[in-house]
Amino acid sequence: MENNTTEYDVVIVGSGIGGSIVAKTLSQAGKKVLLLEAGLEAGMSFQKKEAFDNYMGYLNTFYEKAAKVPNSPYPNLKDAPSPDVLDIEPITACQPSTKGYLVQAGPLPFGSDAWRGPGGTTMHWLGSTPRMLPNDFRMKTLYGVGVDWPFDYNTLKPYYEMAEFEIGVSGSVSEQKGPDVDVERDYGENYQFPMKKVPQSYLDKQVIESVPSGFKVFFNGKEHELQFVSTPQGRNSIPNADYPYADIVWNKSSGKLQLQAEKRWNTFTKAYEHVEQRHATYSPVGAVWDDHQGHRCEGNASCVPICPVQAKYNALKTLRKSDPKHIAIRTRSVASKVLTNEETGEVTGIVYKKYENPSSSVFESHVAKGKIYVLAANAIENAKLLLASGIANSSDQVGRNLMDHMVMLTWGLLPKKAYPFRGPGSTTNIPTMRDGEFRKDHAACISPIDNWGWGWPKFSPGSDVENAVAQGMFGESLRNHIHHIVPRQLLLHFECEQTPEPENRVTIDPNYLDNLGNYRPVIHYSASDYMKKAFAEYKKVSDQIFKAAGVQDFTEYTTDNPDHVEYQGKVYNFWGAGHIVGTHRMGNNSKDSVVNENGQTWDHNNLYLVGCGNMPTLGTSNPTLTMSALAFKTSEAILNHLNS
Amino acid sequence: MDKHIPPRLDVFLDISTYLTGFPLIDLQSTGMAEVYFNTIVAHVNPQTIDQFYDACESILKLKSTEAINETIEKELIPNGNYAGLGQKIILMWYLGTWDGNVISAQSYTQSLVWEVAETHPPGAKQPGYNSWSEPPIKINC
Ligand SMILES: Cc1cc2nc3c(=O)[nH]c(=O)nc-3n(C[C@H](O)[C@H](O)[C@H](O)COP(=O)(O)OP(=O)(O)OC[C@H]3O[C@@H](n4cnc5c(N)ncnc54)[C@H](O)[C@@H]3O)c2cc1C
Ligand code: SF4
Repeated sequence: MENNTTEYDVVIVGSGIGGSIVAKTLSQAGKKVLLLEAGLEAGMSFQKKEAFDNYMGYLNTFYEKAAKVPNSPYPNLKDAPSPDVLDIEPITACQPSTKGYLVQAGPLPFGSDAWRGPGGTTMHWLGSTPRMLPNDFRMKTLYGVGVDWPFDYNTLKPYYEMAEFEIGVSGSVSEQKGPDVDVERDYGENYQFPMKKVPQSYLDKQVIESVPSGFKVFFNGKEHELQFVSTPQGRNSIPNADYPYADIVWNKSSGKLQLQAEKRWNTFTKAYEHVEQRHATYSPVGAVWDDHQGHRCEGNASCVPICPVQAKYNALKTLRKSDPKHIAIRTRSVASKVLTNEETGEVTGIVYKKYENPSSSVFESHVAKGKIYVLAANAIENAKLLLASGIANSSDQVGRNLMDHMVMLTWGLLPKKAYPFRGPGSTTNIPTMRDGEFRKDHAACISPIDNWGWGWPKFSPGSDVENAVAQGMFGESLRNHIHHIVPRQLLLHFECEQTPEPENRVTIDPNYLDNLGNYRPVIHYSASDYMKKAFAEYKKVSDQIFKAAGVQDFTEYTTDNPDHVEYQGKVYNFWGAGHIVGTHRMGNNSKDSVVNENGQTWDHNNLYLVGCGNMPTLGTSNPTLTMSALAFKTSEAILNHLNS
Repeated sequence: MDKHIPPRLDVFLDISTYLTGFPLIDLQSTGMAEVYFNTIVAHVNPQTIDQFYDACESILKLKSTEAINETIEKELIPNGNYAGLGQKIILMWYLGTWDGNVISAQSYTQSLVWEVAETHPPGAKQPGYNSWSEPPIKINC
């Protein structure tokens, strides 16, 4: 094994949004950073031409793939495999499904994927960025469910603002509403998002108008007012002239990261520049190959899996802001073990396997050394690495409490054409079921209106054509049929907040190794009655909305769908949201949590974890904004740690 | 010099207008005619192809559109006839696929289903900022 002699201030594993935020923040503050990335170097490059050519290669692959699933544009490497939704299959009793990278031990298959490569899963995320609600941080106290967070909403508020800057959130603060939302309390009096809201779709407006105003839905024994709200999201729209900040900077004397208006990092000169007051408005971050492209969403309607112009945020945008003087990036470098000093508990290095050919099992082992170590490889990989290293687990919580939003979909035909398959994936959500006393009885959910028809559950419109042709339709009748049906398709999501369950977990097993001899994650996963009851209640909510809006219901749940559950005699299907959360949760003490409120492991002073794995509970919001806020909090703690 | 035109490309295009419900000009303007014609050549045995085009030629000679459509339904649409070419041709034009596989990047972006669905292929031919908040504008009606 070779030891690399250079010692860095910080070694980071993973170039997703979590790792990139830490890398950017620390390198801009002058700390020496080494970033290890399991995937290929392509696209990570600070060279514009390589970044462009590589990305256009992804786009072409996307065009050519029949199943345009989230990972379809991106390479799946034998030496650093990615979980893929195409590998999901029913699990028979006692027999795990080993078709893909994940070993699915069941009883239900985990329904989400991620991408292991430069930029990580944000390459194909949708980009919805609602904040968590204040009550989400106190689930145990308020509803007797799950656990409380080690801090409250207000503690995270300044970091939420940093995350909204970094991702470049478009949205309307004043329009935010719903249970437990109070704009002044939650955002502060004058707060604005960096960019104006992404226009809500024509389809959204058709749905909103078709429901009578003041309409109430009945669930869990009570009436609740149905509301619609525009979704804040990480895609470029029109810069908000009232947005006051120019950048996030490290203030050494106060020991704080700060949003301020005086200086801004210039990605081309790789240095801070003074900001003239009149230029203080937010400047959208464009494509990594050409900052003049992608300043506005252009309505490609392919955000998942790939935004052709990079108007949608991805983590390469953050990584590119790192100070090249202070960062070294090593790709094709798969972290496989964290080394510790048994006496002091200090981490002494990270073993990584460097491969040349991503399909060959030949590799060289190296050890990366730094003062501080950060794992940001996503919730499943972080847990797997800790388990493989036998560390950070005095609480026995590593790998446990794996969560996702279990997405129950409902679909139907609107009475009039609303023209789906246009614009960003979702621009409006129903917040009505996000919070309330009912959380004592069943899961809360956020309910986005989908702009892409029945694409997700039914592979529309391709399947509509195939079915019609198989039935013998052709010529004008075929054309009229598709023309009549597809523009009326409506899809609603009920993204149900899964609660932490110790037995929903990631484990390792020496029988299941990948091409380089690294462990493959073994996933144990199930749906509790708390979740099943939510499906039953929300199907009734969907029925009420469909009835009010004159929507003909085509929802069909079957036992053929690998993720099916039965509740009170009825079958429900759910799908994974891609929100992989909770495998190394934070808490107030080392007995029942893996990290403290800064993401520092209780057991190893110089080891920090970044990513959704830190989240003790999920809330109903998509998790990445919250995780990014936490990543800024951790970056600040690391800077203070290094300076002390 | 004249571009080499594969024999029977015209039959392929003429029958495609009936199979798809699109006029010739729309099919031609996808730029995919020869690619699809050659995809058939690459996947189906020559004898079957000849028999299929022979059948097409005699159908196209029928007097009325109704007669043509009726005969297409009986002769070309059943999957047991001519290696299922009737349905396969429709799927090529509508989805850009052959046996479920995308023929090429262009066949995806040129597939007709998106126009029929009053939108554009996701990831290509983007209609621009804010377009989704209005009903679609039809350019070539
Ligand atoms: C289809 C889909 C849609 C989504 N939409 C949304 C949304 O709208 N809103 C939202 O909030 N969230 C969304 N998410 C979730 C979001 O994408 C993730 O929460 C987020 O990207 C996770 O970031 P991360 O940096 O923690 O991990 P990742 O992005 O997964 O990055 C991990 C990085 O670590 C690297 N790595 C992994 N293992 C190793 C190793 N052993 N050695 C070295 N490097 C390694 C990987 O290559 C990768 O670069 C979506 C997810 C999916 C799948
Ligand atoms: S709608 Fe298109 S341009 Fe806009 S973010 Fe999505 S893919 Fe990018």
